[in-house]
Amino acid sequence: MMKKLTKHRRLPRIGLIVRTAAAVMITVVMVFPLFWMLSTSLKTESEVMGSTLVFWPSVPQLENFTYVINKVPFFRYMLNTAVVTAMQMASELLLGIMAAYAFSKGRFRGKHLLFIVVLGAMMIPLQVTFIPLYIMVAQVGMMSTYWGIWIAGAVSSYTIFLLRQAFMGVDDSYIEAAQVDGMSKLGILFKIMVPMCKPTVITVALTAFMNGWNNYFWPKVIVKEQNMYLLTVGIQKLRTSYGGEVTNNYHQIMAGVLLSVIPVFIVFAIFQKHMLSGFTKAAMK
Amino acid sequence: MAKKTRSVEVNGRQIRLRPERYSWSDFFMALPAVLLLVLTTYYPIAKLINISFTDWRLTSRTYEYVGLKNWIWLFTSKTSTKYLLNSIKVTLIYTFFNIAIDLGLGLVLAHLFNRLTKPYGAMRALIFMPRYIAMSTCGIIFLWMFNTDYGVINRMLEWAGVQNHINWLGDGKLALTSILILTGWHGVGYSMMIYLSALLGISRDYYEASSLDGATPLQQFRYITLPLLSPTSLFLFITTFISSMKVYQSVDVMTGGGPRQQTEVMVYYIYRLAFDDNRIDRASVVALLFFVVLLIVTASTMRITNKNVHYEA
Repeated sequence: MMKKLTKHRRLPRIGLIVRTAAAVMITVVMVFPLFWMLSTSLKTESEVMGSTLVFWPSVPQLENFTYVINKVPFFRYMLNTAVVTAMQMASELLLGIMAAYAFSKGRFRGKHLLFIVVLGAMMIPLQVTFIPLYIMVAQVGMMSTYWGIWIAGAVSSYTIFLLRQAFMGVDDSYIEAAQVDGMSKLGILFKIMVPMCKPTVITVALTAFMNGWNNYFWPKVIVKEQNMYLLTVGIQKLRTSYGGEVTNNYHQIMAGVLLSVIPVFIVFAIFQKHMLSGFTKAAMK
Repeated sequence: MAKKTRSVEVNGRQIRLRPERYSWSDFFMALPAVLLLVLTTYYPIAKLINISFTDWRLTSRTYEYVGLKNWIWLFTSKTSTKYLLNSIKVTLIYTFFNIAIDLGLGLVLAHLFNRLTKPYGAMRALIFMPRYIAMSTCGIIFLWMFNTDYGVINRMLEWAGVQNHINWLGDGKLALTSILILTGWHGVGYSMMIYLSALLGISRDYYEASSLDGATPLQQFRYITLPLLSPTSLFLFITTFISSMKVYQSVDVMTGGGPRQQTEVMVYYIYRLAFDDNRIDRASVVALLFFVVLLIVTASTMRITNKNVHYEA
């Protein structure tokens, strides 16, 4: 009996070994570029451009990081990115929560029409509208300003859509009970709706953070002053930091890249569960 | 009790009055978001149409209406049609392969990593990780890995016996492939996670019942898994399609549209016309065409695929 069981088990176990080996190999390949970024950022110039391939520097160099910080206004870029990201998160969430409430529980004339307007906006990407938007921003003198970068991501119809879906799942009786108790609309919104739909709100907030931090296309279009660059655009300039020529100082460039992604990884580490489940949940809606 | 339905008695019959339905405060809660959306999407589209009938240059403050001149330029001038057709071609090739990589590889990875143990969870998280980094930033990393002289890929190929260093980004055909490798690496974790959560939603009963009937794993995949995954595939198809058509960041960082426009996708072409040539009049015509293409293809794919999608009962 025992023998039969172990014999039966052995075959799936071999399958599992093969499968795990394949899984580990794929994971290694997928992680390799990030490892390579880290490894390169710690190398010396001769290790980067020497005749042999160096996987891990013999003595990790931290001076690449100090070089980057001194060469470009790195912390200014980070501040710019943080400010714009915070602005976009705030407006996207606040306006999104309010609109989602109105479109799910509210009663007003033209509700359906306005909601179609919101949904229709999803079909008009920034890649189509960036030229007129650029002119509009330039005409009101908001080029190279936080507000100018903010405007393109100030509100998201996708956020409104997702929050509305979540709010519709909240039973009306909670709202009615709160109304009987004399709670205001805003009170209902932020003391009942938002806490009850916390997972969706967190997902939407994290997505807004990621979109803000990783924003590239619009900031590149609208920011012409070096001091107002966002990180994504600013670190591209490291590639031409020696008098405008494209160079191979990749140990320094990778140090800048690494520094710029650290905040994302911190958020990723804290909210990992929310992010993975949130992304898939958003897709299933 | 909280319901505000009132009724009056008329000629001995109860007649319900319409409850107080409309609330201005609800309307004003929706208004800021709607106004901002109109300001940042609908109004620019109208402005874009307006610009397409002018001769507006980026450098000049004034402009005149020139009627259909830009549209005629778009469809008849040799340089325009050459670059336009090229950018459409490049965009479609990119979109096709990007969807194939994301959906195909994503489905394979979803099956491979479909084990609910901790190590597998950690590996899934690692595969998803690139998604958190800006595409432009990932582009720099790949630019370095694809570097002709010192890049790790060419150096590893050296061990495999490829002595001539491959010019990944300078060669027309290879450049687009390199971009596809970058965007595939960046996006495949996402489609894997989406497929995986859909796989977990399929009831085991289907597989048990079919294996009792003698179905092979391949048949199970073909006749159970694939049909039941079709809503997920449709979702991924449409989202990947739209995002692929809008590709810009990876091209901008990796090749800048080169060599000789061989990776110049539509958005890049629009950007080049507007900000390198200062011809926002011409750029707006191309942008409008791009918009129409995007609308038509999105609407028609939604229509066609809707018929072939199986929804779980």
